[in-house]
Amino acid sequence: MVNINFTVNGKPYEISIDENMRLIDVLRDELGLIGTKEGCGEGECGACTIIMDGETVNSCLVMGFQADGSNIVTIEGLEKDGQLHPVQRAYMEAGAVQCGFCIPGMVLSTKALLDKNPSPSDEEIREGISGNLCRCTGYNKMLIATKKAIEYMKGE
Amino acid sequence: MDIKKVYNSKSVEEVIDLLGEYGKKAKVIAGGTDIVIALNKNVIEPEILIDISKIEELKGIREEDEYITIGSTTTFAEVVESQIFENNLYGLHKACKMVGSPQIRNKGTIGGNIANGSPAADSVPPLMALDSIVTLKSIDGIREISLEDYYLNPIKEKELLINIRFKRPKDNQILTFAKLGLRKALAISRLTLSSYIEFEDKTIDSIRVASGALAKFPMREKEVEDYLLGKSLEEKTIEGAIEVLRNSMDERLKGRSTLPYKRVAISTILREILEEALAIEEGVKAW
Ligand code: FES
Ligand code: FES
Repeated sequence: MVNINFTVNGKPYEISIDENMRLIDVLRDELGLIGTKEGCGEGECGACTIIMDGETVNSCLVMGFQADGSNIVTIEGLEKDGQLHPVQRAYMEAGAVQCGFCIPGMVLSTKALLDKNPSPSDEEIREGISGNLCRCTGYNKMLIATKKAIEYMKGE
Repeated sequence: MDIKKVYNSKSVEEVIDLLGEYGKKAKVIAGGTDIVIALNKNVIEPEILIDISKIEELKGIREEDEYITIGSTTTFAEVVESQIFENNLYGLHKACKMVGSPQIRNKGTIGGNIANGSPAADSVPPLMALDSIVTLKSIDGIREISLEDYYLNPIKEKELLINIRFKRPKDNQILTFAKLGLRKALAISRLTLSSYIEFEDKTIDSIRVASGALAKFPMREKEVEDYLLGKSLEEKTIEGAIEVLRNSMDERLKGRSTLPYKRVAISTILREILEEALAIEEGVKAW
């Protein structure tokens, strides 16, 4: 076992984990944050996307112990005071959610993009979610949702 | 996975001592984008895992004297964001930008691209075309080797890849890159080419061409270089160069099922790197 200290969704944790755990295993199995999904386990699908120190990463490709000292945001960390994050709201309203499996990762990639670039072009939006595969929607709804989210965030 | 002990290392010295002590029982991990897949599938089964991603000394891009040095744990995203790789060093920017997805670029490192020895490591051909030098360190001392020779004498168990450096190009020396093949999962095979050309007007005064996925490792394409050297870069030169490269591929990849595809595909990307080099030389922005 190895001890790690890290912050997840604003809350500090000090936990002891198995050396063999990947970060996705730590989040899901140790912290119960099952919003983070495992699709491929190989860095292809982005279902396991989280934000680590401000950057999106595939949590299936990070070892748990490497998260020591880091600041992590998962999908559970987006809503504030019972209010959905503008990106979550926009995704719902645009009908960009079908089965939902890709959505936690997709929403986090969109949020990370808008945090860095508040008014991206269509091409930049598509590029921003290019690491997130969706087998249902065909991605156009995500584009529409992201444009809505941009408007909401400007209004905030 | 059967990892018994892990280290979040803070210094190069610590890593080198650990590698000296544990040898092949230990594996170094940085971005994890290749190694965690291998660990998860039990392709490799180290007992010790040493994280180097938090060591300051290994991070970032520095310009010193006539050299540009890239620390081994510099991520693809950091190269893409760096202003150093605009203009005539655009080829490396483009290669790193075309790696995987945003998530992979945020984590994957230049050092990992070299140390893992994949034939399709996208950042390697441009670095090879730049005639880069790799610095490795172990308890036995420092080893420096050109990237071109590196694949014949790659990283050893006890070594840590420290950085890679190359001479800052002059204005008339231009690095370009092109790639064919999409996502890892979808691509039948990937092909990359990079060229470093010194122009005297339209004439190629010196040239290095490097390929990825045309052999077991990224390599210099010397026959194409010899053909192009001293020629004026125009349509018939490009066509000639494509023929020369196809001939060397025919020999190298004889009997491979991917050869017919690669023979066709190569003409597009060889043309792209040469035309892009000329465009940049003539002051047309390619980005
Ligand atoms: S589960 Fe991590 S990228 Fe697919
Ligand atoms: S909504 Fe089903 S995978 Fe995206």
